[in-house]
Amino acid sequence: MVTIALAGNPNCGKTSIFNALTGAHHHVGNWPGVTVERLSGVSEMGSLEVEVVDLPGTYSLAAQSEDERIASRFLADPTVDVIVNVLDASNLERNFYLTTQLLELHRPIVYALNMTDDAERKGIKIDLEALSALLGGPVIPTVGNRQDGNQQLKDTIARVISGGEPSIRPVSVNYGEDIERELVKLAKEIGRDERLASEQPPRWLALQLLEAAPEAEALVEQSHARSAIQAQLHASLGFLENHLGADGGTLLAERRYGFSHGLVKEAIEQTGDGQRTFTDKLDSLLTHRWLGIPIFIATMIGVYALTFVLGKYPQDWIAAGFAHQHDWATAHVPPGELASLLVDGIIPGVGAVVVFVPVIMLLMGCIAFLEDTGYMARAAFIMDRLMHLMGLHGKSFIPLIMGTGCNVPAVQATRTIESRTDRFITILVCPLVSCSARLQVYILIAGTFFPPVQAALAIMALHFLGFGLAMVMGKVLRLTLFRGENAPFVMELPPYRLPVLKSTVIHMWEKGRVFLSRAGTVILAGATLVWFLSHYPGIANRQWTAERQQMEQTIRAKQLPVLQEADQLAALQLAHQSRVMNSSLAAHFGKLLQPALAPILDPDNNRPEAWKDGVALTAGFVAKEIVVGTMAVVHQASAEKAEAGATLSPLQDTLKRRSGMTPLTALAFLVFILIYTPCLGTVGMILKETRSWAWTAFSIGYGLGLGWILAFATVHIGRLLGYT
Amino acid sequence: MTSQGNHKRLSDLHPGEGATVVEVQAKGPVRRRLLEMGFIRGAHLKIEKLAPLGDPMELVIKGYHLSLRREEGDCIIVTQEQ
Repeated sequence: MVTIALAGNPNCGKTSIFNALTGAHHHVGNWPGVTVERLSGVSEMGSLEVEVVDLPGTYSLAAQSEDERIASRFLADPTVDVIVNVLDASNLERNFYLTTQLLELHRPIVYALNMTDDAERKGIKIDLEALSALLGGPVIPTVGNRQDGNQQLKDTIARVISGGEPSIRPVSVNYGEDIERELVKLAKEIGRDERLASEQPPRWLALQLLEAAPEAEALVEQSHARSAIQAQLHASLGFLENHLGADGGTLLAERRYGFSHGLVKEAIEQTGDGQRTFTDKLDSLLTHRWLGIPIFIATMIGVYALTFVLGKYPQDWIAAGFAHQHDWATAHVPPGELASLLVDGIIPGVGAVVVFVPVIMLLMGCIAFLEDTGYMARAAFIMDRLMHLMGLHGKSFIPLIMGTGCNVPAVQATRTIESRTDRFITILVCPLVSCSARLQVYILIAGTFFPPVQAALAIMALHFLGFGLAMVMGKVLRLTLFRGENAPFVMELPPYRLPVLKSTVIHMWEKGRVFLSRAGTVILAGATLVWFLSHYPGIANRQWTAERQQMEQTIRAKQLPVLQEADQLAALQLAHQSRVMNSSLAAHFGKLLQPALAPILDPDNNRPEAWKDGVALTAGFVAKEIVVGTMAVVHQASAEKAEAGATLSPLQDTLKRRSGMTPLTALAFLVFILIYTPCLGTVGMILKETRSWAWTAFSIGYGLGLGWILAFATVHIGRLLGYT
Repeated sequence: MTSQGNHKRLSDLHPGEGATVVEVQAKGPVRRRLLEMGFIRGAHLKIEKLAPLGDPMELVIKGYHLSLRREEGDCIIVTQEQ
């Protein structure tokens, strides 16, 4: 199949050209070995089926960032037949910088001159024929968010593939006599290694060597002609430094911009310069010294509300749907192991995965909208000072804030951060932000052990602690594991644009789909494992099951009033679950864990029931709110209030009277709940986003360590202050 | 080239001021990124504004808007235009 690659700067509207070429049928994959998404699709051009690959948007092929390495490696691959260089017509001088590098690859290039409407509005007139002659390839004007030019683009690409496009001719940048002479010498040395010369055009490799591109240096390092090439490179760089007074990188950048400036001068006419554009006017408001921050906060509230308040409705429907299935299965499948696997394992497990889909799609939709309009860069601009203090990037702010709703989409939202280092640090600190699921546990425990006002204060303090820790850990990670990988903050503030609704919808749909297929499997597997641990061997105990059935029949035989019967049946069910849970592998595990948890949850060694906390914490790994349900089962007391007027639920009452927990150990327990591990959903997402089991394990491990230390500190500092 | 005395760090310029790039003093990846983004000798730029918290800054170079942290601005030497 014929392969074409879409290359272009970030913000040049490449994705809308990609959507226009391929329709909605995309394949979302990953580039080998890295976390960057690989988008490809099939396009019909005339009678041909063409694979279109969307490369990450880059300003250059210097192979410094992950994105650039991907783009430059893929473009060097011989399977690429045609390059489509998408250019922002309103910002050509910088966009041509990448073009100067693409020209060195000696592939036919089709130029999609995108955003021509913006350019017209800015008073830019482009002589297409002159440009086409200078660039050695057809130039097609397009408008990304309309259909303008798309058919012409397709027809032109088809013509280039069949070899019938007259404007295609080799063009390369003239770097001037001195540099050109050194390039010839270097290319000659490179040519001594045929394998090396066949991988990339020798002149292109020579250019990269002059720029000291690490990737190119590594290639040469493997060559048998290594010493000859390196000797020539050394001589060339010395000569250029002496004669032209600058290093290779500077000289090449200057010549490239010279070429680019020449193109602009020849083919572009700028009229009506100097007037304030729409973007300037909007920016004077959106990044205003005083108004910028309030507007940003209002935007964040809007995104939060849309994601978590609006998203709550579909989440509730999904939860209700699964509850319905759960009830149906309980009623129709004979009790026993299979029923439990279905009722307590698979149905809630699948439910736990699907329930994230609405918030993921909504948040990703909002973020795509902010990105496509250009506001995301302003948000980063506004928040960068604060975020940089804590070792993060301006774009880390949105994931952290969204983390208070749910960590799962928050981790996915880190996708907008370009630099790998910044993204990984944000992913690793994100789970420290207290999410709404943890709130349910806080309410249970704080409501039991503290008077109302103090309980509210404790809950607020936990949220601040989460944020504070995220800041501290961000800085710590930056100074330790990610030291020296500091990416420069050189961020374009693109013009504001209306997003293409269709692109946003396709994007949301893909995010939801990819989550289900990648993270969903991990979450379901984990949920089933925890089900297994917390139900075996008791669930397979025939005698217990028989006893339970017998008692159920006894209750039913009494012919009690409906409500009373339901109460008794519920109590019976809870007693049975409790019996199974408290003899389960998880209970054994909880007891094994006891010595490790004792210093924080049972410092005086006077709580025989402390192991039950370990069971609840183990089950809480699936989702933090499950801690509440599990505590109800292990303590055999319902978490729901018996009557409307009661201050404490039976579970809270039991916890207070029998669990032996004190206000101080309860606080330590809450601190531990906040930090101890990301929930399974988040872990699945971290694995998907980092594509690394090692980092995923690290995120669990450091959470456990940090949670333990802080809970320990809570107990001991609390004691020093005289609390119990 | 203008005399040494007119040289300033980019980060010392104020909103509304224009300047010409003299030299990028950064090394390694930062240097290459700045060059690619248009900070070549002789390039004109104009400071637009500072972020509400005082950093980073927004400037216009090669006809587009760019933001830079003070750290990066410190290693770009410019001459101020009147």
